[in-house]
Amino acid sequence: MPEARMNWSEEVERENEYGELPSLPPPVEEFDKEKGLKIVTEYRYDSNDKKTKVVRTLKVEKKLVSKGIASRKHLAKYGKSANDKPGPQSNTTIIGEEVHIQFISNKEEVEKPEEENLEKLKFISCRMCKGTHFTNNCPFKDSAMFLQAEAGKKAFNTVPGTNILAPSSADDKKPGGPGTPGGPSSYVPPALRDGGKRGVEGGYNARRNDDTTAIRISNLSVNTSENDLEDLVKQFGPTSKMYLSRDKTNGLCKGFAYIHFKNKADAAKAIQYLNGYGYDHLILSVDWSKSTNQ
Amino acid sequence: MKPLILQGHERSITQIKYNREGDILISCAKDADANVWYSVNGERLGTLSGSKGTIWTIDIDWMTTRILTGHADGKLKMWDITNGTTLSDIPTFSNSAVRTCGFSYSANLAAYSNDDTMGMKCCLSVLDVRNADSTTSAEPVVKMQVTEQSGKITSLLWGNLDQYIITGHVRGDICTWDLRMGRELENISAHAKEPINDMQFSKDATMFITASKDNTAKLFTTHDRQLLKTYTTERPVNSAALSPILPHVVLGGGQEAREVTTTSTKVGKFDARLYHLIFEEEFARIKGHFGPINSLAFHPDGRSYASGGEDGFVRLHNFDQAYFDYTFDV
Repeated sequence: MPEARMNWSEEVERENEYGELPSLPPPVEEFDKEKGLKIVTEYRYDSNDKKTKVVRTLKVEKKLVSKGIASRKHLAKYGKSANDKPGPQSNTTIIGEEVHIQFISNKEEVEKPEEENLEKLKFISCRMCKGTHFTNNCPFKDSAMFLQAEAGKKAFNTVPGTNILAPSSADDKKPGGPGTPGGPSSYVPPALRDGGKRGVEGGYNARRNDDTTAIRISNLSVNTSENDLEDLVKQFGPTSKMYLSRDKTNGLCKGFAYIHFKNKADAAKAIQYLNGYGYDHLILSVDWSKSTNQ
Repeated sequence: MKPLILQGHERSITQIKYNREGDILISCAKDADANVWYSVNGERLGTLSGSKGTIWTIDIDWMTTRILTGHADGKLKMWDITNGTTLSDIPTFSNSAVRTCGFSYSANLAAYSNDDTMGMKCCLSVLDVRNADSTTSAEPVVKMQVTEQSGKITSLLWGNLDQYIITGHVRGDICTWDLRMGRELENISAHAKEPINDMQFSKDATMFITASKDNTAKLFTTHDRQLLKTYTTERPVNSAALSPILPHVVLGGGQEAREVTTTSTKVGKFDARLYHLIFEEEFARIKGHFGPINSLAFHPDGRSYASGGEDGFVRLHNFDQAYFDYTFDV
């Protein structure tokens, strides 16, 4: 906690003695009687000696209280607050960020994934069926899947060219070569397991496909909600994900949204119909969502 | 809801309390100045300056005229709430810290206890504070020594009609002291050998709730100290408060201070947790502090509560309508 800040007027006087900073306009207080709002405008220097204008809007409420409370309301401030002006001071009282009370509907659901299951899932994963047990405890150990996978791994290791470890395999054929790489115990990168190339390219393509079904709708009005958006796009086909940008402070729409369709055809149809469509007095602009890495 | 954050302390909060009407909130911390706040808008009325070192405990009388603070340097001070001046430096005849203090209902008497450090024995002392001023050098009216087995007193409540005092101890015992006979009446083991961090009354003082390091809070009847309910969590409970209008309990805690820096706020260990009074089940959490909560207090009207944390902030929460609309599904 910093020391209670000096009254700004004193600060100005002090600065003037040294002739460093010019004086500031006096603070203005406006009082709106109908709405009960008090608007206080202050000018002060920030830490970089830049002039800043601080506008605070305070709501003035009248309450009927007991005599005891009323008498305490008019006490003079003391201690470190002795020089404070009436009303809450910005150096001791701040309005915090919005906090939501989180209701717990089903206790088991909330507690367990966080504390226990997650940790186990992280560490124990069967290489064959991806279950939460060790590979040698796999219930499918003797089944076809397991044997196939093993066979696939061996086949893959013996095919030259597709194997990253090919040079070391060649070493192995030489007499007196180091170790036995290429054997059953050799390291196979996770992406190359289960039959080779499929891993990397498949994963990459899967992501691209997901991106290409996404469309961007811009020029939405500020009052648009998720429900409005859903009404707007559900006629074109099923969607998998919807994101409506909102302003952090007031929760209003920032004017654009991303929709992920399940099918590319639906997305294309949506673009065709919605681009230039008049919605809530604004003309929408709709196009494919551009991936961030392009 | 948007909480009001009160930044009046440089170090971790040790105790916060509302006055009877709820318009004033008092807070003390491990720094030298206790603070007095208006609860309605978070405005600071003033600080009680003039002492050195940690203030462990604070209390306010029924009429909201005087404040009592217990200091780590063994001082007990009484303050005038209207102007923040010291009414009385009450001698405690001890060098060890004053750990707990409290006005009786009438505020004619006050009780305090000191730590069992520096060669001192932990004692529960009762003073007549009607005429206490800076010249007072009166001996306590009653002075009772705590048994070795129970350990030092960590929390203190005045019983009905100022006739007895209930104390919570560092080894988990709850003792009842009769003031007329000047001796211990009863000693029950409430929390298996773990410290009781806090005890608070329900609104009508027929029940009180204890908060303990053994990860539980327990509800007892005041007149015969029967265990009614147990609220279990996974971490030490530093403070517990009972809602005056709804069957709700709010618990605050967290782990040991030394583990705080290695804990993410996202884990939720610093949340205030709301339990149902009767079903003993947690139904909601409220985030906010980035350290353990050390002290909690419900506003006497039940529409807001305040929490003081190891992070040095006091947060004042006004409940949303969602809280009042919530019904507990059995």
